[in-house]
Order: sequence, then structure tokens, then C-alpha cells
Amino acid sequence: MKNPPFNYHRPATVAEALDLLAKHGDDAKVLAGGQSLLPVMALRLGQPEHLIDISAIDELKAISVNDGVTIGAMVRHAEAEKSAEVKQHAPLVAAALPHVGHRAIRNRGTVVGSIAHADAAAEMPAVCLATEATMTIASTDGARTVAAADFFEGFFSTALAPHELLSHVHFPAANATTGTAVVEVSRRHGDYAMCGLACSIDAGGGTISSAALAFFGVAGTAVRVADAEASLIGKPPTADAFAAAADIVKATLDPSDDIHATAAYRKHIAATLTRRGLAEATSTIGVPA
Amino acid sequence: MTDTKDTQTSGLGFMGQRVQRVEDDRLLVGKGEFVADVLPEGVLHAAFLRSPFPHATINSINVTAAARLPGVHKVFTGAELNAITNPFLPMFMADGVYTPLYKCMSDEKVRHVGDLVALVVAESRYVAEDALELIEIDYTELTPVGTIDQALEPNREQLWEKADGNVLGNLSDSFGPVDQVFSRADHVITRTFECPRQTNQPMETRGTVVKVDKATGHLEIHNTSQAPHALKWALAAMLTDEGGIKNFGKFVRNADRRQAFTAAAKDFLSKNKESLKAQDNAGQVSQLKKDKSLLKHQGKMAMGLLASTDYPTVKAGDIGGAFGSKGPITREDVAVAAAAKKLGKSVQWIEDRVENLMDGGQAREEQFTISMAVDSDGTLRGMKVDFVLDQGAYPGFPISSLIIPLLWKLYMPGPYNIEAFELNGQIVATNKGRVVPYRGPWANETWLRERMLDVVARELNITPADLRAKNVMREGSMPDAFITGPTIDETMSVAKTFDRALEMIDFDQLEEDKAAAEAKGHRLGLGIASYHEAAPGPPNFFSSAQPGSDMLLSEDGRAEIQADGRIVMYTSQSPHGQSHETTYKQVAADEFGVPLEDVEIVWGDTDRTQFSFLGTGGSRGGPLGAGVMRMTARELRRQVTDVAADMLEAASSDIEIIDGNIHVAGVPAKGITYADVAAKVATDKRTTSGPVFTEQMQYDGVGNGGWSVATHVAWVDIDLETGLVEIPRYLVVEDCGPIINPGVVDGQIRGGVAQGVGAVFYERHHYDEQANLLSTTYMDYLVPTAMEIPHIDIEHMETLTDGENDARGTGEGGMIGAPAALTNAVSDALGVEVYEQYLPPYRILELAGVIDR
Repeated sequence: MKNPPFNYHRPATVAEALDLLAKHGDDAKVLAGGQSLLPVMALRLGQPEHLIDISAIDELKAISVNDGVTIGAMVRHAEAEKSAEVKQHAPLVAAALPHVGHRAIRNRGTVVGSIAHADAAAEMPAVCLATEATMTIASTDGARTVAAADFFEGFFSTALAPHELLSHVHFPAANATTGTAVVEVSRRHGDYAMCGLACSIDAGGGTISSAALAFFGVAGTAVRVADAEASLIGKPPTADAFAAAADIVKATLDPSDDIHATAAYRKHIAATLTRRGLAEATSTIGVPA
Repeated sequence: MTDTKDTQTSGLGFMGQRVQRVEDDRLLVGKGEFVADVLPEGVLHAAFLRSPFPHATINSINVTAAARLPGVHKVFTGAELNAITNPFLPMFMADGVYTPLYKCMSDEKVRHVGDLVALVVAESRYVAEDALELIEIDYTELTPVGTIDQALEPNREQLWEKADGNVLGNLSDSFGPVDQVFSRADHVITRTFECPRQTNQPMETRGTVVKVDKATGHLEIHNTSQAPHALKWALAAMLTDEGGIKNFGKFVRNADRRQAFTAAAKDFLSKNKESLKAQDNAGQVSQLKKDKSLLKHQGKMAMGLLASTDYPTVKAGDIGGAFGSKGPITREDVAVAAAAKKLGKSVQWIEDRVENLMDGGQAREEQFTISMAVDSDGTLRGMKVDFVLDQGAYPGFPISSLIIPLLWKLYMPGPYNIEAFELNGQIVATNKGRVVPYRGPWANETWLRERMLDVVARELNITPADLRAKNVMREGSMPDAFITGPTIDETMSVAKTFDRALEMIDFDQLEEDKAAAEAKGHRLGLGIASYHEAAPGPPNFFSSAQPGSDMLLSEDGRAEIQADGRIVMYTSQSPHGQSHETTYKQVAADEFGVPLEDVEIVWGDTDRTQFSFLGTGGSRGGPLGAGVMRMTARELRRQVTDVAADMLEAASSDIEIIDGNIHVAGVPAKGITYADVAAKVATDKRTTSGPVFTEQMQYDGVGNGGWSVATHVAWVDIDLETGLVEIPRYLVVEDCGPIINPGVVDGQIRGGVAQGVGAVFYERHHYDEQANLLSTTYMDYLVPTAMEIPHIDIEHMETLTDGENDARGTGEGGMIGAPAALTNAVSDALGVEVYEQYLPPYRILELAGVIDR
């Protein structure tokens, strides 16, 4: 469980980081908090020749408010968790953060790193889908933006090319009439969820006008269940409406078995979480952050 | 809480006090010395190449590229290390049991994922692991044996040539008129149970650092061993590639060794006269029938032992837990020592967690079919059990998994009156990691029996509590012995803990709580389990299991007072989290009448402590380990008192020692100290250093007793929407005799219950049907954290007998009782019988009928 040798780079600017990525591309990995990458290397499941440590790049350390919140690639989970801006402008991100690993992991791991890693059982990719976040991807070719829905392509794979850096993620602002919740079932406190849900519901005026249900731990990527979301529109936010959506979720998801949970169990708790998550989200509507 | 307390503690000095652990000052600030901290100058680092396949033959191995990597000192193939070591031999043998012989490495065939194929020694562990990737091996895969059922399939591939049908042992024994009891009972109820594989998971993995003295070649081995003397002895025997008459010649020419050996042999024979007489050799005969090469190998090992003019020194320092897994001597221990000896250089090997999960020690994969013969009024009549135990590929050394069914044989009927009992079963080999003792290695007898009692109670329409109350052995009408052999005395009063536990359960409240849980979609249930354990048991305990094994029931110890007055106590225990240093200081300080800091405890160094086959294990540290501390201290105090009486011109009987002040009773102002007495003796002896008083002895227990007993009660609250289980309350009522330190005992009980909670709700060591290991990291093998462990109420009942050192062992009990109480509670909550031990959330919902299987 010792990592193989690698070349270590610690650029001071994004431009330097992008030059290194352009040069080493396929043979390089970006190191931010290292909470997933370093165990992968220690287990010798991944052997990048170059590690580009972005922790010295100040321009990636900011949380900025701009019709929502933009989080830079070196913002650690713990910093985002403590941020009043995140709580106010990106409440779903704030709701997800306490569920990410344990405190020690959140002290080092980064929000954007978790998104770039794209573990289908992690909270952050689902939050991106539910909030329709925008990814800012930088390279020596210039910057481009990609919608969350187009970013996550499959099991640990994204729209990022080897020479690209996910530099920022923008989470759009939520309405005052929107409630949010992140709920999950894990084996132990702090474990990856067997199934989790990041959800939001806009029920201004007593009728649901929009809803987002993004599940994690049930497929190769985080997934939204559009039919269940659509079933809620125009209804009052009641237990009956939530139960009907839960039935659709159960019928739609097609999770797999692993040693922690069967597919049938995951479908069952997805339905449970739909009811619980929507009720919890509704209860947060109008509650100041 | 002990309002009905009919018990007593010593009530003097430090005994019975919640003394702060003296180890913690060192350990909590990072000043402990663990094996990975031992870095001799120029030490090299070892890494093993392990098999990726569960079952395969090795066609060829090419280490050329690996050997050329800069920083690599040597790549040993399996064959190279096997050529310079002797095999692991069966130690515990029984009729019908065959224990395959094997060496420290696998050079022709691999038998589990993680099997040892090659060893790289390099300047760092990083480089060593780089080199592992350069070794080329050509394997031919064989059909793996992944499950008990596969092992027993006719014509299945065999792991061991001479273990026909993958069966390594057939055991069968019965007590009482079984057929008669079963034919006459009103009911015979039969069920099948299974427990999946678990693994002991100490915080610190295994490790060994072999220091080579360049001048003499002497090996000083720092190791995470629970049994350093056994490791020393085994390495002396296994690290020799010579044999026969040449070794014997060396032995004969070495007068010191010859004399020491002869004296030890005489001593052994005189001390074990009775048990040797009782010993039968059926096991040896049975083994020899299977493997004629046994004698030749035994001869080689004996010659190695005789001829080793320079036995290694083994040192065990601070150890971060073991739970039984560090008692066995492992192939890695032998391979690394052989490599260091061959290279003439110090070598360190620290097991990583992936290796530990592959082969650091596994346990409890067992299947049972149990029949209980019972009358309609709930009178328990008889019990029959068939078992299959999956020992994995390589038998443990020196104590194989054979010990487990031998203990089941003694324990299984439990603390209940029963007329007949029969046990039949098989030990099978599969392509999995090694089975080792795991905290209460026999614990599934309690799980099986106590779970089955609940099944029987429901079948008979009486409550589980009433069924137990009707059948539990009670003081006043207790038999002299269990039908399985071991003697019983008043220390075996499970009934006392059971009655007290029932008093502490509010059954009316339980019904209210159940209704409240149901109203919110939950289910609440309560489970009870009772057991007794030999801790260390009566004198005939081990010989009831296997004739001739009485010697396990004694402990050697030594006490010294140095010329400067320091008190030094030497224990053969190898502490690894049990607080020996604290509790032994308490025991000795009370005997000497001195403060705790005046006593030094020495452990773990085979040059300084006396031989012990077991080291720490078997719940012996309190009764035997502390017992010999107490007895040697008492004798030294007597000697000191005699000298002090002369110095003070008084009678010995008038001497008092309080807080280190040795004085004539009533005249504390005119006292002297241990230093004064030691100085006087040193002057008389014309010496200035070394011990001036020494006492060593072998202590063998507490008369006929030595049972620890307990009743566990678990409350579980199950969320039917998620299958998640909360444990709102957990109660342990236990009796381990007078407690030396309640903080330590509470810690042992809580830790044991925590592992029981792990076994039922979190921990399963998953192999797939092809024997591939699936739980290879802590993402998949889930050890419960503080978040998952409930508050545990503990009620102590400290039954005192007339023994000299009544403290009884308590390290294993928590884990013995918890799986039974918890699964009984789940069964009660869901209203369905539970026949498996591992209940993850999905399984809970399947049992509840909420989701399909």
C-alpha cells in the first residue's frame, strides 16, 4: 500500500497548471485534496507519472457570490461547510456537505475535486445535477463551460479531457420559495450512501412549480428521475404527492447488487428517501439560512 | 445499581479501584513504541508478492527484472526461503484430524488470494513494492473452493493432496443417553444456522523487525506477538536448514544447552506427570496414517531446537490490539526472519491493511444444525449439533482451528441442566485466509444455543425468559460437573446474573415502547443471552477437551527487589491493550504496601521473562497472570519483612508496611524503606547491583473454579423503511469475581460488545463463490465506529470464592454474549426467527417481508 513513484509539480498559477497539463496530459493527474486519488495510488490501482498539485494556486481558493455561488477548485469541503455565502445562496450544497465523509476527510478534500472524481455514490455530483450547476473547464485552448447534465458521462468518467482542469463550479441561486434537502442511507455514519437523494422543491403559493430529484449510489452516475419530478408539478406539497413520486422513482431506477445492498433494497430506500427528502425540503421553504 | 449485592471486593488499597491507566500517558501522546517504530540502523524493508488467484499452480517465476531494480537488495523466491526453513507441523492433534504440513512460502501451489509467493527486501517499502510489480509468474488456475458446500462436493478439486474431500477433521463425541433422551422427549425441534466469515481487525496490523547482530549472527526480533516465547521457540526450530545427526552432534558438544535442556525436560515431566499419564496418542496415530513424512519433519524440528545454540530473542513492545490474531506464529514471521538471517542484515516487515484483510486472521465461518429435545412443559432434555467449520487454506500454528470444536464440545450445552448431548462435525479447507482465534473463539456455541432457545420457547408458546429460568443451573442444585466433563463450583452461577438481569428489565415499559415504535413504523424487540466461560476454568477444563493439555492452565512469573530497592515484576503475558501494566501494578503495590509508581512491570522480552506457550490469551491475564504477580510479591514481602524485623529488632509478625514505610506496628515514625532493606542485604552479600531478593514460581489457579458468567440483554429499534437498527439500550450483568480495576473490566466488556454489534450489523468478510476476496479495504469491511456503538449498562456481581486470587478473566465475554442477544432482539422485533448472524439493513428488510429476497 505504498504509491509508485511519480513526478510532483506544484504550480503557483492556473496558467502554469494548464501548461503542465498540456505537456503531460494522459500521464498526469490533478491533485487537490487527494482524498480519493492518493488511496487509489497507494493501492496501485492508478499510477500517474505526474501529479500536478494545485494547492498553491490562490486564484482557485475563492468562494464568490454571483447569482448563486462559484466555488474554486481548491475550496475544501470544510471551508464550504463553514461559508455563510454557500449556506445562503447554494443551500443544497450546504445541506450535502455534512454528509461528505468524515470531518477529517472534509478538512482536506475539495468540493470540485469530488465533482471531477465523479464517484456515482458521492453527494456532490448529485447536487450538481439537482441544481443544474455549470462547470468551468480550463485548458491552454481557453475556457469552456459545460452543464452538469452533460458533464457526468459514466462510472468515474466525465467530459474533462486529460489536458483540462475543472477550475470552478457555479451553483445557481435558489428561489426564496425553494426548499432543499439531502438525505441518504449509509451503512455507518460517514460511509458512502447505499442510496442518497439531493432534492429541491419550489412550492411558492402552495403549489409545486418545480422539483429536482437527483439520486446517488444507484447507477453509474448520479441520476435525476424526470418522470417523478414531473408528477409533482401543479400539486400541493403533500405526503400523497410525495408517495406518488416515490412510486415512480422505485419503478424507474435500476440499481445493482453489491455486498452492501441488493437492488431491491436500493429501490426501496430510494422510495423512502423520496418521501423523506421532499418532506424535509418542503419544511425548509422560507426558513432563513 | 447493586442494591442486591451479595458480594465483596478486596476492599484494600488499589485493588478494586478505578485507577487511571498508567499506559495512557505514553500511548496518548505518541510516545508508545510499536513495532513500526523499531528502526535498527541500516534496516531493510520487506514486501511479499501475494497470489492474485485463490487456487493455482505456479509454473515458473522470474525475478530478474525485480532484482535489478535500484534499491532492491534481494528477491527471494518461495523455493529459496523454503529451502532454509522447516515446515509448520501440527501441534494439537486429535483422532480423525489431519493437519497438512506446509512451509513459510508457497513454491508450487497457491491456495488463497494473498498466498505468499516471493519476498523482496529493499531499501524502502516503496521500492520493495515497485519490485513486486516486476516479478513475472506463470500460474495455471485450478478450480477454487469458495464455500463449505463446494468443499464437500464429491470430486471437487482438493487443496491438500492428503485431505480427502477437503475434510481436515471429523469430530464426534456424545455425553449421556442421547438416543433414549431424544426418543422419550415430547418434542424434538431442529433448525439450521449459519455464521459468515469475520476477521479480527486490530488497529495495528502485524509486523516484525528482525535485528541481526553482525558479529554473532544473533537475531533480536521485535514482533507484534501475543506469545513471544512461542515465537522464539518456533523460530529456533524452523530457521534451520540442517538436520539429523549433525545437529545432534552440535547439541551434545554444547554442555550448557545440554544441561539446560535436560533440566527443563525433567521439570516438565515431573510437573505434568498426571496429564501425561492421561494423554492418549490417537491424534498422532491418526495424523501419521495420513502423512508418513510427519516423523521425519518432527525429527528435523526437534534437532533444530536441540542444536540452536543461539535461540533468537523476541521482544514485544506496545501492541495495538490483536483479539487473538497475533497469537499464532505466521508464515511471514518465519519468512522475514529467514531472509534477514540469510542476508545478515536487519529487516522490517509491517503488514498493511490490505494484507491484514487477506490473511491477518479470519474467523467464525461455521454452519450448524441443532436439535433440541424438550418436554412440553419446557424442560430441556437433550441437544444434538452437527457442524461444519471453514478453516480456510492453511491451518493456524501452533493452535489450529481444531481447538474450536474441542471447546464447543465442552461449552455447547451451556449453563442449563441437560441429560444428553452429542456433537458431530467436520473441519473443511477452502481457498480463503487463515482461521485464527477471535475473541471468544468458541463464541458461536452461545449464539447457536441462545438463539435456538428462543426458537424453542416460541414453538412451546412460553417466553424465552421463562424457558431459561426453568432450565438454568441454580446454586443449591448444581451438579458437580457439566455432562461434558469440567468441574462446576459456585463461580458458575449464570442464574445469578440471569435473575438480576430480569429484575433490571421493565417488561411493562417494554410493551409500551413496542407500541410506540410500531406507531411510527418501527419495530422494537428485546433479546436475552446467557453464557459461562472458562476464565481460566477448573483444573480439568483443558484435559476435558483434549487429554494432556493441562499445562495451559498455569503461568510462570518472577519478582525481584533490586539492590537499590526497586521492585521489578516480570510477567510472561504480552499485553496488547488489556492494561496489564496498570492492573499488575495495582496487585503488586497492594501486596508490597507501596505506591503504584514503586513497582515496575516487565513484559514481552524473552530474555527477561519466563517461558509461556500462550502469552496473552484465553482470559488468563487476570486469574493466572495477576495471580502469579500476587503470589511472588507476597513471598518477597515476607522475605523483606524478615530482614526488616531484624533491622528493627522486632518480630516479623509485628511489621507493617504502609505507603512504602516498613515499620513496627504503631511506630510509623521509626520506619525504614525497601531501599534500606535492599541496601542492607546488598551490603551483606557484598554486591551493589542486580536483584537482592528474587522469587519465581508457577501458579496454576484458583482451585476448582475459574468461571466467568454473564447475561446480556439487548433492545433493538428497527426502522422498517430503511432496515437501519438502533440499540436504545444494552445491559450486561456479569460476574468475573473480584474486580482489580472496574475501568479496565468495563472497557473489556464494552469492547467485546462492540465487536458483537459489528458481527451482527456491520462486519462480514466477503469472499465470492470463486473464493475471490471482495472486502479488501475498509470501504467494504465495516468495523463499527463510536457512532454505531450504544451506551452499555454494566452491572457487576463479584462472587468471591476461597481461592487466593479470585479475579477471573473477562476479555472475551462481551463478544460471546452480544451476537446472541442482538439476533434474539431482532427476532423478537420482527416476529420472525433469525437463523443467520449477519444482518445488514437489506437483510433486515427481507426478514421483515418489506422487500423481496
